Amino acid sequence: MHQLQSHLQLRLTRKTEHKEGCERRALSWCETGYRGFQTSAACLKNRAARVRVGKGDRPVMYEEAHPPHFIAHRKGWLSQHTSNLDGEGGAAERTVEDVFVRKFIFGTFHGCLANEVVIKRRGNVLVVCAVFLQRLPPQKFYFLLGYSETLLSHFYKCPVKLEVQTLEGRVPYKYL
Amino acid sequence: MAASTMCTAWVSCITRKHCHGVFGIIRSPLFRGACYSTALSVPTNKDVMTRGNRSTMVRRPKREPAAPRTDKMTVDQDWSSVYPTAASFKPSTVPLPIRMGYPVKRGVPPEKKGNLELIKIPNFLHLTPAAIKRQCAALSVFCTKWPETLDSEAKCEQHFPIQVKMTDFVFAGPSVRNPKARVSTLTVKVSSLNLDDHGRKKLIKLAGERHNKETDTLTFTADRCPLRRQNYDYAMYLLTVLYHESSKHEPWEKEKTEADMEEYLWESSTSERNALETLLRMKGSEEGFAPTREELLSSRPMQEYRNSVTNLKNVGENESTLLQYKESVKNLLNL
Repeated sequence: MHQLQSHLQLRLTRKTEHKEGCERRALSWCETGYRGFQTSAACLKNRAARVRVGKGDRPVMYEEAHPPHFIAHRKGWLSQHTSNLDGEGGAAERTVEDVFVRKFIFGTFHGCLANEVVIKRRGNVLVVCAVFLQRLPPQKFYFLLGYSETLLSHFYKCPVKLEVQTLEGRVPYKYL
Repeated sequence: MAASTMCTAWVSCITRKHCHGVFGIIRSPLFRGACYSTALSVPTNKDVMTRGNRSTMVRRPKREPAAPRTDKMTVDQDWSSVYPTAASFKPSTVPLPIRMGYPVKRGVPPEKKGNLELIKIPNFLHLTPAAIKRQCAALSVFCTKWPETLDSEAKCEQHFPIQVKMTDFVFAGPSVRNPKARVSTLTVKVSSLNLDDHGRKKLIKLAGERHNKETDTLTFTADRCPLRRQNYDYAMYLLTVLYHESSKHEPWEKEKTEADMEEYLWESSTSERNALETLLRMKGSEEGFAPTREELLSSRPMQEYRNSVTNLKNVGENESTLLQYKESVKNLLNL
């Protein structure tokens, strides 16, 4: 307790010192008038959903190895519903539902997800397809499955089914 | 101090007893570490793994994962029992050596185990021809035969002149109800309704935009009610009311003027009057008899002229009608 208090006091004093120092230095800082501008060429790289190439020791799944411009060429869609068709509504609501379901599954089965969650909608049934690692005992798995299904069904007022596969370990596509 | 040590001993006693799942009664708390219990259970393998006992780490023997179902599948199995309904792809259930995905350099596409691409795509493993045949056979029990006498479109039209169109919508969402599904459209041919000439004209005037001139059909689209049945009833009611109203003769209908006429009638028009006057003057100036109006009207050139003028006004101006008019005028005036 005493140690903690003394530690805090030390931190405070250090902070005030830094402040004073800043203030003292601030005058000279303003006087010199520091302004900067870009001297090198701007490099507008695309960084969305891309895993940058590294040493070659990082295992990478098929899903994350392919950047987004490969969707519809080498990758499929993780979520399927009819709201994006012509004349259909509810696209925003479906998207928000998808985001929530993904975060929910990620948190409920923490550390067990091998890959992204695939969400399919058949009529009013919400089918959540997930690939898990065998990190939990089966009884816990079954309980969490039932819990997720019940909770999500009550939340979204529609039948929610979880179609689950389990793997021993992650299957890497390549090493980056 | 003694009290504190006794406290700690008592606490440890209680926790150990909770481990064993048995509650004991402390007979004499004064003695250090003395705790009696009425029944003592032998620590089982399960108890050893529960909390509080970290000294002996005995691992439960890990269960080996079972072989996939594909190993036990026979060639002539009933596939509909493996995939009875639409389900995502399960690699341990589908006995095919499928690979999917873009291959790595000098490699092959990834295998089906843990392949997310195979899960993403919709599959039709539940719709094999055998499964479809079985489902159709089950549904055919509820079907009735199409009547043989209704073998042509014309016969269908004759016996069932009213056509009702209703739409069902299939889409993905939490609710199955679609507000667009309440619309009900009713189409009927005016010629199939039992109306005389006056009734027909009145019906067309009353219907307005709902009547299609080319096909001679009346179309009623009802969407003002929340339910499809209600909209259908409303459309039928509209048809009934329209029919009955057009059959009636109102007293003010006698005041129909030439501007209200739908098509050109030559019988009491200025064209008839002018032609008659011209002919009468022509014939009157000649010597001989002065023909009567009825004779003039019933003469052939007059009838031809009448036809050509009616054609021009009703059908429109094109080469054939203008030619016909020219010929008839020439005949009439003996040019």
